[in-house]
Amino acid sequence: MASHTSKAFLSLGRINVSGLGLQKSVSRVTYATDLSIRSSNVNKGLPDRGDRGFFRRPRRTAGEPRTEKMPVDQDWTAVYPAATPFRPSSVPLPVRMGYPVKGGVPPEKKGNLELIKIPNFLHLTPAAIKKHCEALKPFCTEWPSALDTDAKCDEHFPIKVGSTDYVSAGLSVRNPSARIVDLKVKLSSLNLDDHARKKMLKLVGERYCKDTDVLTITTDSCPLRQQNHDYAMYLLTVLYHESWKTEAWEADKTVADMEEYSWEDSPSQRNILDMLVRMKVAGDREGEEVREQLLGRKEVQEYKDSVTRLKNEGESESTMLQYKEAVKKVLNL
Amino acid sequence: MAAPMALRRELFSLARKISGVSHLTPRALGACSSHRKCNIIRSHLPLASSTSFHTATLFLSTPSSITVTEEPDTLFQKVSLLVKGHDRAVLDSYEFFATMAAKELGININKVHELPKDMERFTLLKSVHIFKNHRVQYEMRTHYRCIELSHITGCTAQVYLEYIQRNLPEGVAMEVTKTAMEKVPDHILEPMWEDHPIDDKSSQ
Repeated sequence: MASHTSKAFLSLGRINVSGLGLQKSVSRVTYATDLSIRSSNVNKGLPDRGDRGFFRRPRRTAGEPRTEKMPVDQDWTAVYPAATPFRPSSVPLPVRMGYPVKGGVPPEKKGNLELIKIPNFLHLTPAAIKKHCEALKPFCTEWPSALDTDAKCDEHFPIKVGSTDYVSAGLSVRNPSARIVDLKVKLSSLNLDDHARKKMLKLVGERYCKDTDVLTITTDSCPLRQQNHDYAMYLLTVLYHESWKTEAWEADKTVADMEEYSWEDSPSQRNILDMLVRMKVAGDREGEEVREQLLGRKEVQEYKDSVTRLKNEGESESTMLQYKEAVKKVLNL
Repeated sequence: MAAPMALRRELFSLARKISGVSHLTPRALGACSSHRKCNIIRSHLPLASSTSFHTATLFLSTPSSITVTEEPDTLFQKVSLLVKGHDRAVLDSYEFFATMAAKELGININKVHELPKDMERFTLLKSVHIFKNHRVQYEMRTHYRCIELSHITGCTAQVYLEYIQRNLPEGVAMEVTKTAMEKVPDHILEPMWEDHPIDDKSSQ
């Protein structure tokens, strides 16, 4: 009876013992091929495994690996047609992988877990890629030959719509960032006159880049990409038509609202004309026609150009020099 | 009671010793085959079409019917693939595959470059309780590869991207940024206020 109970314990604990055996072998830094020897030793210590539970049919001996029978000029795409883990008996390469045993080489491919763990590209050899592309070619279309340069593309297709797709492994295939659409268009390609352009710039504000003259509209308020694309086109349409409209309150635009500096009716014009009149350049005369005559002078025009350029473009070497020359000419220095 | 049991045990052990050698290899293969099955199940789901696609190329039987529609094709000025992974060797192989596929399909490749890797490091306490001075540091490395293609039509892009994405290896993620080109739509060519009075506020 004791032997029975002990046998029961052995059979119950069979899994535990074999588990322990496995753990012990791993901590001793041996490899899978050595593992099989250890586990078969463990089995010899538990002889009742055969008469309890399932009957172990004697295993067939494994034949020689397929690599021995492979001809050199075989069709490799038939051996590895799809992505499959590494099969050491199907790959006729003497691959070694893993940390080398002390004073030795990395372990061989037979029973090597490291080779199975990493993704292999054995199904994507150049021959296989060529075959796949041959089959895929009928579904592809040609790029129109007239649009070879970027300039031509911009001329005929000025609106650029950008979107992003995401592919990754996870609980869900979807990525909410994929719905974002951004629409880029150069304002020079739209039919806008001066007032419409200024109004458009005021309406869009931050979305316009002055250096590249590109208006960017980014939409992400709708849940689907198609919806965001339609919304962006709608926004562009509305902006365009609204900027052509002239409202009644636009007449109240003050000098502070102006985007560019204009010299007419500015303090600079008044100052220079007053100074010239006081210097009595045009003789001892006063009145409107004197001012107009002064305005028509070449030096005054040059001064006007230099001042507008200075105010609009900012201070730089060339603008300051131009201003200096103009002032010297106007005041006869 | 004990004797016959002992005999049986010895017989079984003898049998095992005789067929000891044959035990070894099936065991090893047994361990591997369980792995293989899991992998096959995992890889079947995304690659189902590619397996059927592969059989199509092998059989070369029915030619696939190609439908041509009148709808104008989208034109992509630039398609940029960014591939991210933990293993640089895998990304190298994938880049070779992607560039070769693009060359075969006649897609012009602008630039293939490698962005510098990102390392996310964090420091944790080594022990479960106290021992603040003993820590352990982990890091996660993300390697990048960027492939830029230019001047692709919508059909070609769809075909190429599907092929590339179906053969994306495990543990690698991809982001595709497409820049499509469009003509200026008809309702933006001319302002509508010139024909109608200003107080006609109905927008198109």
